[in-house]
Amino acid sequence: MKKNPLTLAVGILLILIVGLLLFVFQVRQSEVAVVTTFGKATRPITDAGPHWKWPWPIQKVYKFDQRVQNFTEDKLTEGLTQDSFNLLTSVYVGWKITDPTAFFPRFAGGDDPIVEAERVLERTVANAKAAVVGQHPLSDFLSPGQHNQFAAIEEEILGIVRRDVQANDYGLEIEFLGIKKLGLPENVTQSVFERMTSERQVLISKSQFEGEAEAQKIRSEADRKAAETLANAEGQATQIRGKAEAEAAKYLAVFQQNPELANFIFRLNALEGSLKDRSILIFDQHTPPFDLFRGGFGAKPSTR
Amino acid sequence: MAELHPHETSRGPAGPEHPIDAGSQALSEALRGSFGIVKVVMVLLVLVFLGSGIFTVGQQERAIKLRLGKAVGQGEKALLGPGLHWSFPYPIEEYVKVSVSGVKRVSSSVGWYAVTPEQELSGQLPLAGATLNPAVDGYALTADNNIIHTRATLTYHISEPVRYIFNFVNASNAIQLALDNALLYAAARYPVDEALTRDVAGFREMVRKRVTELVEGQDLGIVVEDCLVQSRPPRQLEDAFNNVLRAEVTRSKVLNEARSHENQVLSKASADAQSRVNTAESDRARLVAEISSRAEQFQELLPQYQANPDLFVQQRLTETLGRVLTNAQDKIFLTEGADGKSKELRLLLNREAPKKTEEPKS
Repeated sequence: MKKNPLTLAVGILLILIVGLLLFVFQVRQSEVAVVTTFGKATRPITDAGPHWKWPWPIQKVYKFDQRVQNFTEDKLTEGLTQDSFNLLTSVYVGWKITDPTAFFPRFAGGDDPIVEAERVLERTVANAKAAVVGQHPLSDFLSPGQHNQFAAIEEEILGIVRRDVQANDYGLEIEFLGIKKLGLPENVTQSVFERMTSERQVLISKSQFEGEAEAQKIRSEADRKAAETLANAEGQATQIRGKAEAEAAKYLAVFQQNPELANFIFRLNALEGSLKDRSILIFDQHTPPFDLFRGGFGAKPSTR
Repeated sequence: MAELHPHETSRGPAGPEHPIDAGSQALSEALRGSFGIVKVVMVLLVLVFLGSGIFTVGQQERAIKLRLGKAVGQGEKALLGPGLHWSFPYPIEEYVKVSVSGVKRVSSSVGWYAVTPEQELSGQLPLAGATLNPAVDGYALTADNNIIHTRATLTYHISEPVRYIFNFVNASNAIQLALDNALLYAAARYPVDEALTRDVAGFREMVRKRVTELVEGQDLGIVVEDCLVQSRPPRQLEDAFNNVLRAEVTRSKVLNEARSHENQVLSKASADAQSRVNTAESDRARLVAEISSRAEQFQELLPQYQANPDLFVQQRLTETLGRVLTNAQDKIFLTEGADGKSKELRLLLNREAPKKTEEPKS
């Protein structure tokens, strides 16, 4: 059969494709890989894209997810604080594979290298926690304001875990670490509840007492202010009256021209003023103008 | 298409070489027919293969194309916007879709007691034992070593999808862990009463601040939008806490009563004060007016008096008495007895009646 050039081209293309499939592998953006030659890790690959390899069985490629994994401690672990409180803690860790050649021989033996690695991490984290928790009193974990060391404690644990991971050359990097749970042993919670209840009692009596006291204060303050206002007003009134007297005194000079007349007029006015209405007058004959009845001016006395 | 030509050309010469009986002619016809079908099928397959690379990106999505595993373009440029796109099918190219503009949410219940969704919906509390088992019931410890329950919901949107997808196995889980941590962190700094009643907003703000710091520090490529925090006392202490609230209410009631008393007393006092001043003011006006009119009167009368004091006095006296007598209600005139003494007069005053009654006795 004659070979047509097109047939030839297609044949070559097919061979090329098969060859590429055998000799080339691709590593995704989110992956790292290690190339093993006869089972031994020889070449780490951390760049995404296509890479060469010898076909199986000479070289083999193992790919790992290089994104940040979240690892969370399932169980709370109990630790004694410096001042002998039992504290339960669990932490979470964000980690990722950075060096596939170091990672591969240690963890790739099992079914899932990630699970294997997390098993190791769990131990490392537990050790680090035990070391750090014992160096802090409870108040470093729980207290308001500046004294609170919560973040610093996390940093310390992170530091120890990082050192450990680096020293053992696991090929991992710890990205972050934080406390996920803080707790007290179950039997302690009851005594905490009892303490809280008594604290509530104190608060209740305090607010009762304070309320009464403050109300009392407000009332007495108000009464005092009222009295003060009245006294001030009284003072002002007296002042005004004093001023009135002073103004009146200016007219004294007028009356002094003839005190007798002044006296007379005043008395007349007073008399008239006091007998204005609903008054009963009783006279005898000496009172003018009834002295007329006595016939003072020669008229005949008469009775009514 | 290219694969199909060889068959055609190779079959061409084959025909005349072998003179044909009817059977082989039929076979060749059949073969030619099936080759035709194969041609069409292969063209279709190629088209389907290439067509499988067509994909759409929705309004809320972005896509990233990976060529041989490597992202095409750098950073934000790698993102394909909404619309129709095409990539070579696997293994040459792949695409990954990311949902971006939708608001996502995570909830943390690390500090909350165990509750089933049904209980949550119906609003009833699960039965509370005397203790809290930390493995089952979540709680947070406060700055004064007390126990509270607190939970939070965080809403966020993805600002850097490339980072969100390619740097984290489970970014939303990482955010939830950060939220858990933020709740514990804030509770550890807040005394129980501040966190539950007095400074709820401050507590919330601290949770929000901490979780924002954490996700920024971890470079998760998200922006925190809102953070809702809900806290409550342990179910075991419900009554104790309620009693405190009641006491607070009573207290403010007592205070309000005192304040209203204060208002009353003060406004009455100021009204009284004003009226005293006003009275004084009007007294003054009256006094001055009176005295000045007297003075005027005096000035007028003085010349008359000086002209004849006795006559003047008599005149005025009589005149005044006349006026007084006209005004007086009752007038009683006592005549003098023979001995020159006035008769006695006894008054019986009735205290009850406003009017005086009098009884002349002779």
